[in-house]
Amino acid sequence: MRNVPRILILTLVATLLAGCGDKRILEDLGFTQTTSYDLLPTGELDITLSIPLADPEAKSKRMILRTTSVSSKESRIKMAMQTHLNLVSGQLRNSIFGLTLSKEGIWNHIDTLIRDPSISPQVKVTVINGNAGELLRKDYKQQPRTGKYIDKMLQKEAEGQNVPKVTLYHFARDYYDDGIDPIAPVLKDIGDHIAIDGIGLFRDDRYMTKIEPKDALIFAFLRGRFKQGELSVDLSRETHSDKQMAMLSGLMSTRKVKVNLGRNGQTTVTFAIRITGSILEYIGPYNLSDHSDKKKLENQIASHIIDKSEVMVRMMQKHKVDSLGIGTHVRNRMSYKAWKSMNWNDDVYPKVRVLFDVSVKIKDYGKFR
Amino acid sequence: MRTMKEALSYAHVVILIYMVQTGVTVFSLPQIEAQYFGTNGWLSVLFVFAAVSVNIFFMALVYRIGNGKSIFDLMEQVLPKWTLIPLYGFLIGVWSMIGLMIVKEYVLIFQMMAFPTTDPMLLKLVVDLLILYLVTKGIYNIGKAASVFFWLNVWMLFLLFFFFGDFDWSRMTTFVFQGGEDRKEGFIAIASAFLGYELCMLLFPYADRKTKIIRATLMGNGLLTFSYLTLSIVAFGFFSVQQLKEMMFPLLDLMAYIVLPFVERLENFFYGLFLFSIIVTSTVYLWAATETSKRLFPRIASKYLSFVLVAFQYAVSFLPDTLDEVKNWLELFGQIEIGIAIGLPLFVLILLIVHKATRRGN
Repeated sequence: MRNVPRILILTLVATLLAGCGDKRILEDLGFTQTTSYDLLPTGELDITLSIPLADPEAKSKRMILRTTSVSSKESRIKMAMQTHLNLVSGQLRNSIFGLTLSKEGIWNHIDTLIRDPSISPQVKVTVINGNAGELLRKDYKQQPRTGKYIDKMLQKEAEGQNVPKVTLYHFARDYYDDGIDPIAPVLKDIGDHIAIDGIGLFRDDRYMTKIEPKDALIFAFLRGRFKQGELSVDLSRETHSDKQMAMLSGLMSTRKVKVNLGRNGQTTVTFAIRITGSILEYIGPYNLSDHSDKKKLENQIASHIIDKSEVMVRMMQKHKVDSLGIGTHVRNRMSYKAWKSMNWNDDVYPKVRVLFDVSVKIKDYGKFR
Repeated sequence: MRTMKEALSYAHVVILIYMVQTGVTVFSLPQIEAQYFGTNGWLSVLFVFAAVSVNIFFMALVYRIGNGKSIFDLMEQVLPKWTLIPLYGFLIGVWSMIGLMIVKEYVLIFQMMAFPTTDPMLLKLVVDLLILYLVTKGIYNIGKAASVFFWLNVWMLFLLFFFFGDFDWSRMTTFVFQGGEDRKEGFIAIASAFLGYELCMLLFPYADRKTKIIRATLMGNGLLTFSYLTLSIVAFGFFSVQQLKEMMFPLLDLMAYIVLPFVERLENFFYGLFLFSIIVTSTVYLWAATETSKRLFPRIASKYLSFVLVAFQYAVSFLPDTLDEVKNWLELFGQIEIGIAIGLPLFVLILLIVHKATRRGN
């Protein structure tokens, strides 16, 4: 037994000594934080790296490297020749893709990122409505370093369900799954700031269309369960009245998907969505402390969500993108042979009848009657 | 301390068997399941578990009928020793090769992740010295060391809770074993990930009645099945099947996905902890090879035998130098070892029956 501590120490020493071979000196490393990819008209890639600098003597807070090349790893070799730092990608947080490239397909680049063991599967995948390199190279005066700015914003917005959290892992998972298509948040430059520009919907690895930011929460209801979010609904149209607005906060939502394979080949999918939240703002005729008024409002919000959902799903069916993963649920009701023999995205999905069963529950309405 | 007749304790054998069984294959296990069995490939673990349990049952028969004597004694009481030399040589070769290949694969993966330019053979040398040091201390101390290493290792199972958020049952599909390749091959590949239990046959002389060695082996195997099963279920609900097929080491990707509020990219650290389980696996295989060589060279002290074996296998391990080559070698020796795991107890059983029959005849 007394040998055990000795062996433990030896193991530790062995592990530590192994570190002497491949040295990594912090000051000599350039930690790539964000990489942008754009497609040039020539077919080559325009790649930009953003590297935060910790050197107090440096004038700028970050280093920008840019090159054109055929592949992303080739560009890394080219860019390494432009700097005194050793470029490493262990701290990479975000990979942003220009719209033109996203429309052509981004799998080759995702594949490269996944293959590299030093790159985390938690690296975010983001589409830029416009030129990704330009956005990354630009300094936003009132904001932190652009790379960090994007990263922090995406993280915060994902917590509020305004964009989905999409990492290399999520993208690859949905890319390979035959019952769902990948998605990615879309950003754009609006002058002094960067703004969320919606949710990009992919077919395989090609960007097809996007969900507008104002509908992001509807998309979140349909995509799965979540625990935090805010929704503002304009109910004027539903009620044909003057002005009626409600703002729900602290939203919690669960989703169930029911599939009914009809005998005549008509597949019906029902989304059962249960939403609870608190009212923080209400402009309209109802008295929220009145039980029947509150019920009416709940129903109106629910029918508003149903209307919006119907439009959204119809749009996705038109573009043949199954971003909600309806396919996974249909697949689970079929035999393997039947599933494999059908062309889900092209033939079946656009014709699926999608129904919604939405219930909204107002937990509370603030501290004012 | 009792020095008269030390015996392995029940808990030590359980942990030892579990640690020997956990090898490098665990890193690619979900990929193997997806590749050969397709959808819901994790179920295959249960079939292998059943097969291994039957296999252990035959070892139990050897233990019972042979009265807990060493299998070498049992063989030598029937056959003249010189006829067993080829068998012993074969066992020594296979066992030391498995021990060596496991370390080599581990080191190559480590190199890919963390030390791209360090010579893998240097890393392997360090690990091999440790193994040599441990193996010369004898099986009792190996058992105790394994228990300490076990606790450094087993808590990682709790990390699987981290994947709860992105886990989705519907991703698993309702299809069972669809879209896979040759299932027979897959069965063998997964069975290789269970190997190590067969070495319990060499532990017989070091156990006594209180050890309940067969029950301990079954228990160790059960523990391993539990950890494989939870890992595989999490992997199949976290990754999509097609994605799993494309991955080299799903467990590494799982570990890389873990982010704690204050630190991320912990996979190197977690991977480092697996070294302990690799050391135990390799050590016990080397110990088994040493035990066998003692039969051939009873006059030579076992630590010299271990040294020669380590030196020999270190020399051989220069041959395969890419990850794919090492994987292929390991696969080959895994298949041979499955043959040994099934064949050896049957062989000894037949000898036992012959022995009993001839004795009765006399």
